[in-house]
Amino acid sequence: MTTYKSIPRVQLVSAILWPSFLLAGIATSVFFTFLDPVRLFDYEGEAPLSRMAAYSLGFFLFWLLCAASSAASAYFLRPTDGGVYSANDSA
Amino acid sequence: MSSTDASGGASVRFADDVERSLYAKREKVYPREVHGVFAALRVTAVLVLLGLFYGVCWLRWDGKQLLLFDLPGRKFHVFGWTLFPQDFPYLTFMLIIAALSLFLFTAVAGRLFCGYACPQTVWTEVFLWLERKVEGDRQKQMKLDKSPWTGRKLLIKSSKHAIWIAFSLWTGFTFVGYFTPITELGSRLLALNLGPWETFWSLFYGFATYGNAGWMREQVCIYMCPYARFQSAMFDRDTLIISYDKGRGEPRGSRKKSLDHRSAGLGDCIDCTICVQVCPTGIDIREGLQYQCIACAACVDACDQVMERMNYPKGLIRYTSENAVGGAPARISRPRVVIYGVILLGLAAALGVSLALRTPLILDVIRDRNALYRETPEGLVENVYTLKIVNMDDADHDFSISVRGIEGVELLLDRAPVEVAGGEVLSIPVRLRVDPYSLENPSSRVVFELAAMDNPSLRVETKGRFLGPSVKQ
Repeated sequence: MTTYKSIPRVQLVSAILWPSFLLAGIATSVFFTFLDPVRLFDYEGEAPLSRMAAYSLGFFLFWLLCAASSAASAYFLRPTDGGVYSANDSA
Repeated sequence: MSSTDASGGASVRFADDVERSLYAKREKVYPREVHGVFAALRVTAVLVLLGLFYGVCWLRWDGKQLLLFDLPGRKFHVFGWTLFPQDFPYLTFMLIIAALSLFLFTAVAGRLFCGYACPQTVWTEVFLWLERKVEGDRQKQMKLDKSPWTGRKLLIKSSKHAIWIAFSLWTGFTFVGYFTPITELGSRLLALNLGPWETFWSLFYGFATYGNAGWMREQVCIYMCPYARFQSAMFDRDTLIISYDKGRGEPRGSRKKSLDHRSAGLGDCIDCTICVQVCPTGIDIREGLQYQCIACAACVDACDQVMERMNYPKGLIRYTSENAVGGAPARISRPRVVIYGVILLGLAAALGVSLALRTPLILDVIRDRNALYRETPEGLVENVYTLKIVNMDDADHDFSISVRGIEGVELLLDRAPVEVAGGEVLSIPVRLRVDPYSLENPSSRVVFELAAMDNPSLRVETKGRFLGPSVKQ
């Protein structure tokens, strides 16, 4: 059987960064479809952020949040029976 | 999905391999170059798809980029259609249809998508081809990687990476060209005047291409692809898969070409391991159906060539289905396929109808929130509104605005007709004046109607509220 110890590092990193990347993409599209960042920040004429900048920063913020959630899940998935959980960097 | 249905020894050996692959560092896969029917098909698919990716962004239609997801402009130009954020449901709809098509396709034809059309496969093919051009064939690559670092090795490796990086940068630039107009982007690139975010996303996508196609390769399929994991939910015993004909091939073993292998107790598999050498994900198809298999058919081509050389019939490894291998009749139409098909047709029809009925015009009515109402010197009651007109048509139009709902309501606006260019949004202030004696309630409903003067079918109505004193009570 596969034990936690046997998960390769690349799988662990992918499992945290990749789904959160996809979800951040979806979240960014939905969020900015309904909210135009230029209108959001447009108090007095000049907007402090261009749309591209707002979209990009929004995307990375969502990615960070989703990745934090994935990382927490990965952390809590460690076995509680004293088993050692680490990605194997070497054979 | 069971990873193998191999009997006894094979499954023990396979389990050992799994253990080893889980514990060991990833061993680099050096896919051997393969020629044949399916390889030719894949090369064709790669050329067509990459041709589309690198080419379509340069095509123009009616003076506009044919396919442009203009994020800064909050407009999508899709083959002559202009879609706005308000059209988000259509886009969601299209994505659902695309996903369902993939389900249907997978149920019938298995992972053909993975082997021929997946961006990961397509770009990896290009990177492998570039690698072969620079480093030589599989043997030479393995030898080079084992050899100590010399000037020659450094030169070869750095040339390879330089070519990969150049190709990736072009890919990243093209990618961004689908989100900001590529002709402008190109001229700004030549003037070394790209915006910070355009530069960033070009590099980001370029880096993703370089990393995924150059370094990660089959690991993307194995660790990152959700499709590889849930495909088993869409597969059944009639799904097209690539399978090794165990009954015919076993027991495998090397032999002289002249030997009558049947009488010597051998199957058709000569155990040359070429099927393993050509596999881009580094698996042995003879161990049975595995989730790593992207159905690229490289092993089919490779084995057919070996069979030909041995004067054995082709197809020891072939496209087939579990039922066909087991001798059961193959069925294309089965409940799963019919259900996917019906849902897909229904959704496509619904999308078609709603797109055909779509009125490319939006009128938003925003009442001035600063004052409930004001009274004019003539004793009339006045409300102030901002009308937001979104002309989602590609053509410019002159619009007329009218209002009804209260007897004798008068509409005042600073211009008539109202001109809105194609794809533009216009906000105009308007005032409504009403004789207070015609008001039934403090709050009455009014209906604004916006109609294109040159096209009576292009019209839209929006409701608003009119506030006033309640004189009649």
